[in-house]
Amino acid sequence: MNRREFLTGTAALSLATALPGAAWAQAVFAPKPGAWRAVDLVTKLEIDGPEGKAQAWIPLPSVNEAEWVRPGETKWTGNAAKVERVRDPKYGAEMLHVIWKDDEFVPSIEVTSRVAMRDRAIDLSKPGNAAPLSAAERALNLEGTELIPVDGIVKQTSDKIVADAKAKSDIEKARAIYDWVIENTVRVAATRGCGIGDVAAMLKSGNLGGKCADLNALYVGLARAAGIPARDVYGIRVIPSQFGYKSLGAGSANVTKAQHCRAEVFLDGFGWVPVDPADVRKVMLEEPPANLAINDPKVVAARKALFGAWEGNWVAYNTAHDVALPGSKHPKLGFLMYPQAERASLLLDCLDPDKFRYALTAKEATAT
Amino acid sequence: MTLSAIGMVAWLAAFVPATAAPADSPANDTAASLQVSTEAEKPAFLLDNLHGEPSALQAFKGNVVLVHFFATWCEPCVRELTSLQKLAATTRGKPLAIVAIDVAEVDLRVRAFFEKIPVDFAVLLDRDRAVSKAWGVSALPTTFVLDANLAPKLFVEGDLDWSHSDILTTLEALYPTETSNDSSHPVRLPIRITTQSITHPLKETPK
Repeated sequence: MNRREFLTGTAALSLATALPGAAWAQAVFAPKPGAWRAVDLVTKLEIDGPEGKAQAWIPLPSVNEAEWVRPGETKWTGNAAKVERVRDPKYGAEMLHVIWKDDEFVPSIEVTSRVAMRDRAIDLSKPGNAAPLSAAERALNLEGTELIPVDGIVKQTSDKIVADAKAKSDIEKARAIYDWVIENTVRVAATRGCGIGDVAAMLKSGNLGGKCADLNALYVGLARAAGIPARDVYGIRVIPSQFGYKSLGAGSANVTKAQHCRAEVFLDGFGWVPVDPADVRKVMLEEPPANLAINDPKVVAARKALFGAWEGNWVAYNTAHDVALPGSKHPKLGFLMYPQAERASLLLDCLDPDKFRYALTAKEATAT
Repeated sequence: MTLSAIGMVAWLAAFVPATAAPADSPANDTAASLQVSTEAEKPAFLLDNLHGEPSALQAFKGNVVLVHFFATWCEPCVRELTSLQKLAATTRGKPLAIVAIDVAEVDLRVRAFFEKIPVDFAVLLDRDRAVSKAWGVSALPTTFVLDANLAPKLFVEGDLDWSHSDILTTLEALYPTETSNDSSHPVRLPIRITTQSITHPLKETPK
């Protein structure tokens, strides 16, 4: 976003705050904890034209939070020589490591994971009695990662946002950063996948366009730089939004390209608070009739809700950064949100599922 | 060309506009521009090309070398590759080499990209960011201009129109001559570029 666009956006925001309440009532986006829903998430993988050794790593739902997500059983079928459930030692991200015989003609596997989830909404009007983070968890969620440094330009930017907003408490700082990301970034439809999440490069270049792995990583980096624990939560949309937001749900049972990264910020007394500034920008770009103004009621409703609430139509995989693939010489991945596979030591392009090949489907099941 | 003439064209080039901005602060509106490097040297590297064959920086010695860090996901980078290809075509047969280094992408993605947009210059793979880190690259695209002795002379953060005539003149001024192999006589830029740097502050060379 350039400065002119930024000023326009800010002006629009001011206008929005002046609109009467009746104008906002046209749109409702208000996730509230309620009934649990369950899905069977199926990942089918078939490595095209195998030459040499083939192996794959399939992310598994490994975030388990009693209030909103419960991973269930994972089953698999296929012609692999070895299948092992492995866990990233630092973040606990789980994946299925699959190895085929060297001469396997069509290496293939189908993995089905049952996951139950429901909406989240934190009452931010007053602190509750959420357990504090342990020192180790706090340190983990404040540190920089390969693509999300918390010093240099990230720290400078964070300090300026907090100072400009005159934010004092953590919740004021977290909200100021949320507003800044919404008002200064832009969702770019042409970005491949969910983006890269190279936060320092975004800030240094001034090119604040991208998708969820860029925009929400920016939120996480700026929050961490402000001394507030935060984390990306990598996952996938699996069912439509019950609030009628086409842009915020799975469009069909085929969710091959429905990966979505959300974010959380830890606020004392409130615990982990769900946020998703990237989805506000997504609503602006994609929600029919598209290219909505920042003061459009649909945008206003999403913006209000997505600081403190998420809709439970999405499955969380993990919160990991800088993930090593066991048994691979490939450098660490920035994050693990797509199936990965290697053929003759060459990592396949996970952003090209048709060539790779893989497909993901989601089917609603009965929650237990 | 005299040294002061070199400085003049560098000064001119510094004001050739580009579409993305180098920035000390986010989202500024300053155009990318060539800046003077203050470093004596850059780390050597040995990287695979798109076919998996190793290629060393040292192999380009004797040419003015543009070492260009990019990624296929980076929109300004894609624009700049087009202008680099124009530069490659314009300078064919001249002592100028372009070395584009893709940062941290899987080989197959980069290969697929250049199958659609072929270029006439070397494309190397910095799979683990080791070289981009060693060269102090913090934003993409970033390009370093080295002289024929591989000494860094200029750099730019952000995308530049390399096909602009003033840029070409600046690069030509760095072409090796019989006397330029003596690295004890570094190119000196006139005070004018320093004067301009007051309004367009010269940033420190990325370390």
